[in-house]
Amino acid sequence: MNDPMKKSLDDLLADLPRDMPPPPYLWSGIARRLPRHRRGRSPVLFAAAAGVASTCLVGALIWAVLHGRPGVPATQPVRATEPAVAARAPSLDEPRDASYVAARDSLELSFRQQLALLDPATRAKIEADLAIIRQAHEDIRKALASDPSSPVLEQLWQSTWHDEIDLYEHVVQATQPTMTRT
Amino acid sequence: MLQVADAMDPADPAELIAAAADGDLSAFEHLYRQFSPRVYGLCLRLTGQREAAEDCTQESFVAAWRALARFEKRSRFSTWLHRIAVHTVLARRRGLRVQYEVAEPDSGLPEVADPSGDGPPLDIERAIAALPEGARHVLVLVSIYGFSHAEAAQTLGIAEGTCKAQLHRARGLLAAALGVERS
Repeated sequence: MNDPMKKSLDDLLADLPRDMPPPPYLWSGIARRLPRHRRGRSPVLFAAAAGVASTCLVGALIWAVLHGRPGVPATQPVRATEPAVAARAPSLDEPRDASYVAARDSLELSFRQQLALLDPATRAKIEADLAIIRQAHEDIRKALASDPSSPVLEQLWQSTWHDEIDLYEHVVQATQPTMTRT
Repeated sequence: MLQVADAMDPADPAELIAAAADGDLSAFEHLYRQFSPRVYGLCLRLTGQREAAEDCTQESFVAAWRALARFEKRSRFSTWLHRIAVHTVLARRRGLRVQYEVAEPDSGLPEVADPSGDGPPLDIERAIAALPEGARHVLVLVSIYGFSHAEAAQTLGIAEGTCKAQLHRARGLLAAALGVERS
């Protein structure tokens, strides 16, 4: 005979609270990790490209102001001599230690694998975004070659490789397989 | 089956979502305040470990921030967020397997789940945390968080029949551990 006072399994499960307050410090950890560039509502990673495009524009204008010259169109690469470019070694450059490089290569590999699975139109869009980021990176590198002491350019330089990593992460996360086997 | 998810979810705050998608961190913090208890509870019960649940909650909200621009309004925000959380837990689990760092369930669950110290919730939380992983995942999603079998199966990447079998197994183990009737 069942004990009427004894709860069934369904009763016990139904009594469980669904919500559990997370520890208060959790939000600060999340907030520190959120990329701060503004993002639009347009599809598939357009935001990264837009952020970099604006970075290029601002960078070109600041570079022009620092040199007392008229504004340089954002789409026009900043010219610099190659020897000066080769000598350039920004202090905020992308890390080169082995663990970072391995992690970056792994992320890029995942990105390439996931990219190959996307439909052609989306893939083309993402590759175009990546090309914009890399072009911005190259433009800023050349600008830095002519003005190595510019902290603004250094920050812009750093932001472009951050954007590239963000793009990789974004694609890998967005294309996480929905069917996974436990 | 308990259908708690739809009944207990607050209405989706469309304005906050739109603002956060445009980069408004304050709006996203409001979303976090509103939805994090459910996400944290889900992660805590799926992982059975407080530290892992904290990591997964963090990862889930960071992933959500990055993906907000692609959130489609026709789906419920909480459902979308919970899917991200489950995927984060599963991805973390896969990573841990690779690194051979899988830990035993710790004692974090009962302290969080039952701050008043009442007996039964503490016991059932311990029993759930001690279930085999596959059975625990299905039980948590279906019996506690109100996923349908189809939703749980799709989210976990298993067949619906497997999902039902895992639930049957989980309920049997849980009932035996607690000394209660299955239903």
